Amino acid sequence: MINKILIVDDSPVARRMLKTCIPKDKGYEVFEAGNGQEGFEKYKELKPDIVFMDLTMPVMDGYQATAKIKEFDKEAVVIVTTADIQPKSIASVMELGAFTLLKKPAKAESIQEAISKVEIKLKKLQEK
Amino acid sequence: MNQAASPNLSEDEKDILQEIMNIAFGNATADLAEVVDIYVMLSIPNIQVIGIGELPSYLKDTIKDDGESSIVEQKFWGNFKGSGLLVFPSGSGKDLLAFLDDKADYTYESNAAATLEKGGLLEIGNILIGACVGKVSELLGTFVTYSPPQVLQGKASDYNYLIEHFDPQQTAIVMKTIFTFKEKDINGFLLILTNHESIDWLQKALHEFMDSYE
Repeated sequence: MINKILIVDDSPVARRMLKTCIPKDKGYEVFEAGNGQEGFEKYKELKPDIVFMDLTMPVMDGYQATAKIKEFDKEAVVIVTTADIQPKSIASVMELGAFTLLKKPAKAESIQEAISKVEIKLKKLQEK
Repeated sequence: MNQAASPNLSEDEKDILQEIMNIAFGNATADLAEVVDIYVMLSIPNIQVIGIGELPSYLKDTIKDDGESSIVEQKFWGNFKGSGLLVFPSGSGKDLLAFLDDKADYTYESNAAATLEKGGLLEIGNILIGACVGKVSELLGTFVTYSPPQVLQGKASDYNYLIEHFDPQQTAIVMKTIFTFKEKDINGFLLILTNHESIDWLQKALHEFMDSYE
């Protein structure tokens, strides 16, 4: 079951856009961080069920933050949301253990589809 | 930089434009990656509103042309109107082309090489400027037409020609994004300039873009 969602993006506009794509009727608690370092700190503090992670950010980028989060918690679900859709970027984040990569701008349909996939994954884990 | 010359674009509007530029340049680099096997490291775009009269000195300071810079310019027209400038400072344009075609001899002495260099730069400029401006336009619900790209030679020290038809009392929006071709540590930047005529339309389009997310 998904309770907490963390959005990590330096752009307040991108965070706003993503937030509007997350269903309001599911009771998710949504938290925000403005860079990878802040995102990692908030991950440790909140243990969110899903992290939406941008890649190009100041202080700590999304590649480093994803690596740190996965090192801290190998079951962490990191969904990369980025404008950088070069094949090498996609391959890099998937190698780091990202759950999936979604192209910006955020679209409600793809965000909700990704959340549903995470729900299925978590359900399967609970059943084991 | 004259921040006082920015009465027409709020901080929120700049943030929206920054995110749109980020998305657009990301798409442009993916388009480039389809044509050449190269990985572009992106940075966070910067949006500034400056007086038209200050634009030539801003460009001079930003581009810092030492005679070795490669600059491609492409103009675009429509509701969103202006110029895209792709700049490779200090010989990095030649380094990039040499990397893309290691058999070519990109030296100033060779006319054939100069032609190759110009052709390669025009192609890269066309992809990056065209795809970036095209995506900005698409996201803002409009379309633009383009002039053919041109390599600026002998003009780089004087950018007054870019503003010769503009009112110096008006403002320009400068969208700048810096990038690095990782394998060769080749740096460059893309500037999208749009003038006062586009600002009213742009403000409306930015709000409509965000309204679709409310």
